[in-house]
Formats: sequence, C-alpha cells, structure tokens
Amino acid sequence: MLRFLVRRLLMTVLVVAVTSVVAFSLVHLSGDPAAAMAGEGASPADVESVRKTYGFDRPLPEQYVTWLKRVFEGDFGRSHYLRASVAQVLADHAPITITLGALAIAFAVLLSIPLGVLAALYPNTLVDRLAVGLAVGGQAVPSFLFALLLIYIFGVTLRVLPISGSGSWAHFVLPAIALGYYATPAIMRLTRSGMLDALQSDHVRTARAYGLPAWRVIIKHALRHAMIPVVSLIAVQLGFMLGGSIVIETVFALKGVGYLAWQSIQRSDIEVIQAILLLIAAAYALLTLAADVLNGAIDPRIRVG
Amino acid sequence: MSVTAAMPTDVPRAPQSPGAVALRRLLRHGNFRIGGTILGLIILAAIVGPWLWPLDPASQDLGHRLAVPVWSAKGTWLHPFGTDQLGRDYLARLLQGARVSLTIGFLTVLLSGVIGTGLGVAAGYFGGRIDVAINFLITIRLTLPVVLVALVVVAVYGGSLPTLIVVIGLLLWDRFAVVTRSATQQLASRDFIISAQAIGSSIPRILFVELLPNLIGPLVVVATIELAHAVLLEAALSFLGLGVKPPLSSWGLMVAEAKNQLLFRPWMIAIPGTPLVALVLAINLVGDAIRDAVAADGRA
Repeated sequence: MLRFLVRRLLMTVLVVAVTSVVAFSLVHLSGDPAAAMAGEGASPADVESVRKTYGFDRPLPEQYVTWLKRVFEGDFGRSHYLRASVAQVLADHAPITITLGALAIAFAVLLSIPLGVLAALYPNTLVDRLAVGLAVGGQAVPSFLFALLLIYIFGVTLRVLPISGSGSWAHFVLPAIALGYYATPAIMRLTRSGMLDALQSDHVRTARAYGLPAWRVIIKHALRHAMIPVVSLIAVQLGFMLGGSIVIETVFALKGVGYLAWQSIQRSDIEVIQAILLLIAAAYALLTLAADVLNGAIDPRIRVG
Repeated sequence: MSVTAAMPTDVPRAPQSPGAVALRRLLRHGNFRIGGTILGLIILAAIVGPWLWPLDPASQDLGHRLAVPVWSAKGTWLHPFGTDQLGRDYLARLLQGARVSLTIGFLTVLLSGVIGTGLGVAAGYFGGRIDVAINFLITIRLTLPVVLVALVVVAVYGGSLPTLIVVIGLLLWDRFAVVTRSATQQLASRDFIISAQAIGSSIPRILFVELLPNLIGPLVVVATIELAHAVLLEAALSFLGLGVKPPLSSWGLMVAEAKNQLLFRPWMIAIPGTPLVALVLAINLVGDAIRDAVAADGRA
C-alpha cells in the first residue's frame, strides 16, 4: 500500500508540475502582457516601464522559475486590474465556488443514486427507462441552456428563487441544480450497473435467503457493494465541476472563481488567469489522487499494476 | 473469404461478416432510426437550408428589429422566425448556425480522432516506456480544465473557425486515446496479429491493415461521444462570448445575444436552443445504437 501511495503521490506532483508549465506558457505565449497591463492609451515608454517592473523583458524560462518560486511562497502575484494580490482575490472568490461545488455534488448524489437503485431494482421497466431516458436527455442539454431554463421557470415565471448574485443560500439553489445535473447521468449509470451486478451476487442471494428484510438487503448488502466505484467517480466529477462552474457562475453572476476567470480573461489579467489554471488543475489532480487511493484501499487488485 | 467462394452454391448462405451483422442490427435499432432521422434532417438543413432561404444572416434590417415569429399574432412570413436586436433574420442565422456547429463538430472529431488514435494505438501496441509516456500525456490532458483552457486560447488567438477547430480538437482527444489503447492491448496478443508479426509484416502494415480495421467499432462510438462534446463545447464558448464571433452566427452565440430577452421574448432562446438540444440528443442516440450494434458480438 505504501509503495502504491508514494508512486501515485509522485505522479501527482509531476502532473501538477507539467500543468504549471502549460498554464504559464498558455498565458505568456499569448501576446504582450506588458501592453495588456499598461492599458489601451499607454505610450510605448509606459509599456516599456511596465515590462521592466514586472520582469517581462526576461527570457520566459527565467520568468517561469521566478513565478514558481513565488507561488511556493504563497505569492501568486498581483492583479493589475483589481489592484490587489492574486492570493487575496482568490481567497475572496474561492468560498463561493467551493460552496457551489459541494451543493452541486450533493444534489447530484441525492438525485442519481436513488434513481440508479430504482432503475436496477426494476430493470427494463418504465422506471428504468425513465431514469435512463432522463440521463440521455439531460446530457443533451447544454449547461447554459439548462441554467436559462431554470431561471425562466423558477426566477421569472414562478418568482420563487433569486436568479443572480450570491447574497444568500437561496442564491445557490438554481446554480447548484444546474451544475450538479451534469454529474447525474454518469453517477446514475454506474450506480445502476453496480446494483445490477450486486443484486445477482452470491452474498446478496444469501442475505435474501436468510430472510432479511428487502430494504436491508438492498441498502446494506447490495448498495454498499455498488457504491465502491461510485465514490471515486464522485471525486472525479467534483474535479470536473470546478472547471465547469465557469459557465454556470457566469450565467447566474455568482462571483466565484469561474466568474473571476471569465472576467480576467476579458481583462487580460494574466496573473489571475495563470493562478486559477494552476489551482483548478491541482485540485483536479488531488481529487483523482484521492479517488485512486480510495479505490486502492478498497480493492487491493488496483494497488498492483 | 476465399473459403466462401469455394463453397458449392446449394449450401445455405455463409455467415455474414461481423460488419454486415452490426449494420443490420443498427438499422433495426429504434434509437438509431430516431437519432439518425433528426441528425439527417439537421445536416440536410445545414447543407441546402441557406440555398432555400437565401437571406444574408448578417444583414441588418433596422426597420424590423426584434420582429416576432410567424406563429405569433403579429408575425409575418418576411421573417418566419422573427429577427434579433439588430434586425438580422433569425431563420437565416439559425441555418448558418447549423453549418457552424456541424463543421466545427465534424472537423474537431477528425482532428482529435487522429491524435487520440495515433497515441492510443502506439501506447497499446508498443507498451513499455512509450505506454508510460503516453499515459502521462493523457493524465496531463485530463488535468487541464477544458473550458478554461479553450477560453484562454480563444481570447488570445481570436474566435475564427480554424482556431476553434484546432483548439477544441487539441483538447478532446483523450477518450480516443484511452479507448484505442486498451482495445489495442487486447488485440495485440491475438493470433492474427502474432501471425502477422511472425511472417515479418512491417509495423505500419500490422497497424493499418491488421489492427485498425478492428478498432472501427469502438472508434465510431467514441467519435459520436466527442462529436456531441465538441458541439456542446463550441456552443458554451460562443455563449461566453469567446467562441464564434459576430457577424458569423452560432446557436450558442444566438442564445447569448438573446439572454436579456428571456423575460419578454423567451422564443428567441428557444429557437436556437431547440435544434442544439435535438442535435446533441440525436448524436447520443446514434452513438448508443452503434455501441449496442458493435458490442453485442463481443468485439468492442
């Protein structure tokens, strides 16, 4: 187990290191950061002085090393647009995205696991078809369209929920549904197939033969077994959500990291963009690491190989 | 197949090739019929639509801004689907959007398919260090958030069609690589590959003549998934204002431009939104049917 852990950890560090290079080059190969920072009406002399101050006249590898060193010290640079340290800006925006992600995954789990179990209990019936149909249909609706539909129904027609901003808990309901919905088809399908396998397994048959109540067999014996792969899928889906929240946050004007990223791209606020790219990639890498370790802990066969 | 030719004619028909079986199964599949019909209609609309409705999708008719569609009380056949804020004909923009969606979708899948299959086959066939390196590349690709990276690149290089195709194509190859890698690993130990190696076939011959034809089933399935993915991604990028740029039209862009009309003119979102959902749904249905058709004989 220890060897497996160490190897996966090294791999994660390596992955994050390479993504940091990608994040840095994506932003820096993209034209002239000094010109973007100096603003539209800047004279060539102004641009030159910005270039000197921020070290943009140095070779890129040198700039990268300097940037990385500062990142290790917790200094992500300064947002030239917001005139604040990037670390501070991120600390202001991160809680909203984390809340949104947690609520969205909670919604996804509460919707998809019962649906998946129902579909597996009554395979090839109307219930199963409805659940699978919901998953297939849901995957076809783009997130921004689904978000606008939610706004139209609950915000405009019924007027029961706020549609913009992040003032209260109610502001998170629609965004969490819109974001969480995208994780439901995958979780539901995996729950369904896991339950189908589990229900036919020997230990469930034995439990039934013992005369245990049906719900107990289903929840305690079958579902527990079926949940093993689902748990790590949930971790990976949470990673996807961090990257995908950009669309949802923009539609609902939730001032989280995704919205910040979108605004920063339009403002050419490169220090913010590269910090967000790096952090989201690192969060995703850590979540997949967690999923792998969890799987390895549950299923010893994964550790070898 | 020379065995078939040598057989006497009165013997019952020889077993059909796996491809023919899969095709027959596919054509009888309900999902394929529904999805295929919708997909066919959208492709047809994209190809001949702009001919049949030759209004310029970019020309602004400022006297008829925000015209209502023909089915509402004040609608006219002058603009069957109404017009947008700038008085551009909604039907013409819709048809151009179909072309944009399909062009971006099919070309990105072609690009990502070639990249992903190349990497996946190389990793699966050669194994060892090459496999480790390519696996690492796949992990890196999965770690990068697709929407965010695409937004950054498009913000830099602009939202021209070729840029969008290259960016999306370079981002969506991972599933092709993962699937072809494991399929190749399974095939590499099969007799027909080992015999080809034994008679001294060149590596390109083994890969292209022996291996690749056996990957077509899984490849087509992944291609449908990524086609839907690419269409959704283009729509999302255009919706965020960093995809297809006006005056060119795109369904995602049309939704974005009509966003502020949600309260009073919801049809302006429904009109581009419906074909977008229909297109992705149709692609998914066709993909599911193909998966059923090729998986049932155990070759997937």
